[in-house]
Amino acid sequence: MVKFLSEEWIEYGKNYILEKLDPEKDMKNITTSLLGIIEHVPPNDITMSFYLELRNGKLNDFKVNTGDSFEGKEAAYVIRGNYGTYKDILQGKIGTAMALLKNRLQLKGSKMEALKIIKPLDGLIESLRKITDEFEE
Amino acid sequence: MSSEKVQTIQKTSFEDAVEIAKKGTHCGMCRIDFLGTGLCPSGKKHGFVAYWPQGRMEIFKSLMSGKVKPTKKLVEIANSCTLCGICDKQCNFATQLRPEKVARALKEYANNLDESEFQIVVEDDIIKGLREIVGEKWATNDPVIISSYIRTIIHPDSDLNFYVVMPENTEEVSKIIKFANKNNIPFMPRSGGTLLSCATPTVLSKAFCLEQGIIIDLLRLNKLEVDTKSCTAKVGAGITAFELQKAAYKHKLRANLAEAGAHVCSNIASTGITSTWQNRYGWAADNYIDVEIVDDKGNIRNNSDLDIKNPYTTERGFTDITLTPPGIITESVVKLHPVFDDEDVVLVPFENLKDALNLVMKLAKRNVGLSLVVLSRKYLSEFLCPTPKIAKDFEYICKNYMKLNYVVDVICNKDDKKIVEEMAEYTIDKNMMKTFILGSPRLASLKNSEFLKVLSEEKDPLKAIFAGPMRKHLEKGLDASPEQIAKVFDKDLQDFFKKVYSKPEMTDIIWLHAFRILPSRLMRQRLFFAQAGMIWGEDQDKILKLIDMLSKVCDKYKLEHMLGFISPMDDGKYAFFEYDYYYNHNDPDATKRVSQALIETTENCLVMGDILMVLNYLFKGLYRKEHVLYPIPKGISNDDLALFRELIENILGKEFKW
Repeated sequence: MVKFLSEEWIEYGKNYILEKLDPEKDMKNITTSLLGIIEHVPPNDITMSFYLELRNGKLNDFKVNTGDSFEGKEAAYVIRGNYGTYKDILQGKIGTAMALLKNRLQLKGSKMEALKIIKPLDGLIESLRKITDEFEE
Repeated sequence: MSSEKVQTIQKTSFEDAVEIAKKGTHCGMCRIDFLGTGLCPSGKKHGFVAYWPQGRMEIFKSLMSGKVKPTKKLVEIANSCTLCGICDKQCNFATQLRPEKVARALKEYANNLDESEFQIVVEDDIIKGLREIVGEKWATNDPVIISSYIRTIIHPDSDLNFYVVMPENTEEVSKIIKFANKNNIPFMPRSGGTLLSCATPTVLSKAFCLEQGIIIDLLRLNKLEVDTKSCTAKVGAGITAFELQKAAYKHKLRANLAEAGAHVCSNIASTGITSTWQNRYGWAADNYIDVEIVDDKGNIRNNSDLDIKNPYTTERGFTDITLTPPGIITESVVKLHPVFDDEDVVLVPFENLKDALNLVMKLAKRNVGLSLVVLSRKYLSEFLCPTPKIAKDFEYICKNYMKLNYVVDVICNKDDKKIVEEMAEYTIDKNMMKTFILGSPRLASLKNSEFLKVLSEEKDPLKAIFAGPMRKHLEKGLDASPEQIAKVFDKDLQDFFKKVYSKPEMTDIIWLHAFRILPSRLMRQRLFFAQAGMIWGEDQDKILKLIDMLSKVCDKYKLEHMLGFISPMDDGKYAFFEYDYYYNHNDPDATKRVSQALIETTENCLVMGDILMVLNYLFKGLYRKEHVLYPIPKGISNDDLALFRELIENILGKEFKW
């Protein structure tokens, strides 16, 4: 169990997803990429982001950095929200789709297309939920 | 009196109070001065919902159920009520409740608490920060005050992990949002709370309510300025439909508005103001000139700003569901329309919907009338009748004796009235409507009379009553007067209601259409729309097919139901419909069936296609209607249906199963 957005979180997340999620059954063989921008990260009120890439349902890339972009990476979907929203999602207090519908997460791109991949992505978030137990206050 | 006896009386009285409180529907009518009584002095002074009659009822329920423990604030809230009786008069007009009994019980309860029974409220950093923005008085984390917001923004099962803040202006709203974001706390605005109160008993509750965080109560944003030159009004987010209409009418102007208790700005953002006047006055962005919005980052902008992206358009498609407004409208400049000296009302009665629909669409295409709608006998009965029992009997008589199931209801000038009268064989005029309002108790009492039996045997009972010799007899027999109708109210309120019904506006159909105080009576039984939305006006067979489908689904789930109204829009190109359930919101089985029927009708509408349902136009009222409506989506494929089901499961939670 690790702290959200830490290097360990990335490593644990990668391993967990590769080991536990079936590309076909759980991830529906999707090929997509997602940039998650996290605003107001405590304690210094900074912006961070993570980039996640799936190829044929298999995790191909997963990384985190400060700022709101990754050089050379153009994600199919960009979601933006504050640290509290991501925390609530990872703690199971609100679903990703619900956060989108309630404007707690802002989506760049087609909502219709994004919602099509929500279910497999939810499986992935469920995995991250299982490894994340620490948050900045 | 022995202490045992006191306890028994007290217990019974508390139980009675809880029963009254449970029936409260948060219609918001206790927050507008619609009967000329003045406003609840406590609510007016302190603002928070807790100090209004609806809030006291919610608090009392929470205290008695153990949901909330008393705080010192409770004593202040309870004792701020002067027992002036205004709430009893207002609530009795709309829903027959007596909230003052609850206020008395709350006083008795609060003033008999031991010191040890109060919980301590700790001032944390968040509340300190909020108080720095709005002042000491206008931000709270007191659980008793927070509990008054249950069912209008807080889910009944939620912990009371909230803050309530009442900003005074747009800048304060902006600061609150920036503060909330910095501290990673969710927030949501609350205006009248009426829309959320309708959704709360149903499966939609969690989707619409705030799960935790800061409730931004907008009541203090009460700017209201009418500009007669431009025929506009500048309206703050705390202003209700009733208040705006009152201000507009002083200048012989009229606003297109929602129900009396709804707040104008939030209504623009939520459903875009659907009314019977929309064929003439428009819908969505048609209703306003400009809005001032605070976005989710706390930035203040106006729709008229040049450097913003197009604020009038939205993504379309069945998955474009939004459960919150696109920002907090703190102020809007709304359009006002002239009130003509020769305005009149004419109603055309019908036995069947097909004929009524045919007429209303013909009138809409010709742009006849200012307000134009098909009303069902259910709406007619509930609007006109002072009590649910009278409404029920009135409706029975309409259906079984008079064959009056629908009316095409037109507010128009005298030229348009001639057109309607030429197109209809017989009509109901404003005098007859006044007779129906004041004589409704007497008419209801004729339920099994010989007179009505004879009437029902006529070849065309409607003609006999509205164009034949029976009209005279009926008018005479109904003995319509303020004295007669006042008799149906509680004895201590009869003098008051005699005066109320003596006021010309209370029987003036045009005024009643403009000020919309009567829809609150639909909450006497809890109303929820089985479906509401837009459908192409040209395809009348499809409209009838849709109504038939909705009726069948409601029957399947054993719900009382009926079409509410169909109102044309955009020169009759569209028809807005509302089909309603009526149920007891305290009955878990009934609420479950409402939820099931809601989901099934939603799915059926999607498959049928060419229907823009409420779920898809909700929170799209800021956009240009042409962008929302043209074209209405076609029926969806099986793949899309599966996607929709996934989406709904996401919204409704894992406990929901198809």
